[in-house]
Amino acid sequence: MSKEAIIQGLSDSVVDMEEEGAASYARQAIDERIDAYEAIDQGLAAGMQRAGALFEEEEYFIPELLLCADAMNTGVDILKPYLAIDEADGEKIKVVIGVMEGDTHDIGKNLVKILVEAGGFEIIDLGRDVPPQAFVDTAIENTADVIALSTLMTTTMLGMPKVVDLLKEKGIREKFKVIVGGGPLSQGYSDKIGADGYAPNASDALRLVQGLFEN
Amino acid sequence: MNDLSPKERLIRTLNKETTDRRPVICPGGMMNATVVEVQELSSRFLPAAHTDADGMKELAGEVQQRTGFENFGVPYDMTIEPEVLGSEIDLGTIACEPKIVREVFASAAETTRRDIKTMLGDGRVGVLADAIAKLHALDPDIPVIGSLTGPVSTAASIIDPMPFLKGLRKDAANSHSVMGYVTDFLIAYADLLIDHGADVINIADPTATGEILGPKAFGEFAVPYINRIADAVHGRGVKVILHICGEMKAVWKYMPEIRADAISTDAMVSLKNLKADFPQIVTMGNLSTYMLESAEPGKIEKRTEKLLADGIDILAPACGLSTASPIQNLRAFTDTVRKIGDSGTGK
Repeated sequence: MSKEAIIQGLSDSVVDMEEEGAASYARQAIDERIDAYEAIDQGLAAGMQRAGALFEEEEYFIPELLLCADAMNTGVDILKPYLAIDEADGEKIKVVIGVMEGDTHDIGKNLVKILVEAGGFEIIDLGRDVPPQAFVDTAIENTADVIALSTLMTTTMLGMPKVVDLLKEKGIREKFKVIVGGGPLSQGYSDKIGADGYAPNASDALRLVQGLFEN
Repeated sequence: MNDLSPKERLIRTLNKETTDRRPVICPGGMMNATVVEVQELSSRFLPAAHTDADGMKELAGEVQQRTGFENFGVPYDMTIEPEVLGSEIDLGTIACEPKIVREVFASAAETTRRDIKTMLGDGRVGVLADAIAKLHALDPDIPVIGSLTGPVSTAASIIDPMPFLKGLRKDAANSHSVMGYVTDFLIAYADLLIDHGADVINIADPTATGEILGPKAFGEFAVPYINRIADAVHGRGVKVILHICGEMKAVWKYMPEIRADAISTDAMVSLKNLKADFPQIVTMGNLSTYMLESAEPGKIEKRTEKLLADGIDILAPACGLSTASPIQNLRAFTDTVRKIGDSGTGK
């Protein structure tokens, strides 16, 4: 099979939610000595971006997007050991993400994670019910670039300015971009608490992160 | 027609009968008005009232008296059902509602079943049933609304939501089996609340939205199970309200198939359009909860006037209220309905 066909097969398997297809094309990519980075980037991640576009067009909804992500991850797991070391560690922009303390609604956070990861960023996922201090500590430990805060509840929004304040107290506010999202939020709220950006949905979250590092 | 009691007014509205004016309610469950200010003024506090029938009853009475909403609405959270179905919950604080700490199952395929009768005697089910009986006795003119967590949200509160959502596509058989189990429980639970005096059953199913499920899964996994509950409640001669969260474009076409007596929606949905497209639907809503939390009372009055002019049948908040919403704002909403809420469309 040609390299193009394998790359296309990887991409289509992700769009079609075919885990086994993604695994099989990933193994063929290895057999044919296709560069693992290219197979991931041009095949699997490209497929996930197509799935993201279908999500934005309301052809796909959350169940579909989650299954596309599973297919992508299956392929990535097979290809990862074949990445050159510098590619595996890479110089990717790192995003620490999590749901605010007191809130366990994580569907939105997980969608952002999937799409931002497929967009070529490294994600450090703290999960849900995360105290403000944990965002800051994790961002420092991992020399992250972005802290992404999510919440669905009005009662837990107050943790967001706390993260900003903790960074200011330590004198490291400028080291990180803080972005926020979730049902009750708005650009106005983001501005009010001094965050660097707000996105109303997962597709816009990817564009937001890309925009922050365009230069 | 004059001088209907709030209960007569609400039931007649749900029956599509004439009334003196539109009702304004806050049904309880996800959408409840136990704001911090009500708790502080009445010295009836959460989370204590989540586990005490007298406290729950007293707080419902305080909410009705102080906010002007024309019903008793209980409970004040969405975790009673997931708790007895096995999930670990946290009762929250004065300002933060109870939440799921951990779902009990990892996937639809791995669920086990509890006996429904046993569950009805477990957790806080009895607290809610007793509170409803006490509220029923407190004032026969005020409708008691018992709120259920809808079947999709309940299922997604006992199974980790990610595998649950994937299972809707990947493992339809087990997903339907869990939905059936959850629905059987919710029917028995609603039955118990009706036995204790609930006048109306409210179903809030925030996971069952077009935005999350998409039209196919909504049609396959939300509509039939919600309708099974609605049919069972109707079998008891009791009316049903359904609250749907979020944007509804993707699932608009399913609205006439839903056998609830009123459909309540989020603030971004035009109830005027819903009524124009499906005139048979009794519409409920949908005053923005952001406005209720932070707008000037004058703006709330204006927005309420707009909803009344649009012909909305039952006035209610659009979503779960922020616990920081001031009573003054809730009053601006309910008083405006009382002042100018007459002349509903088709009345």
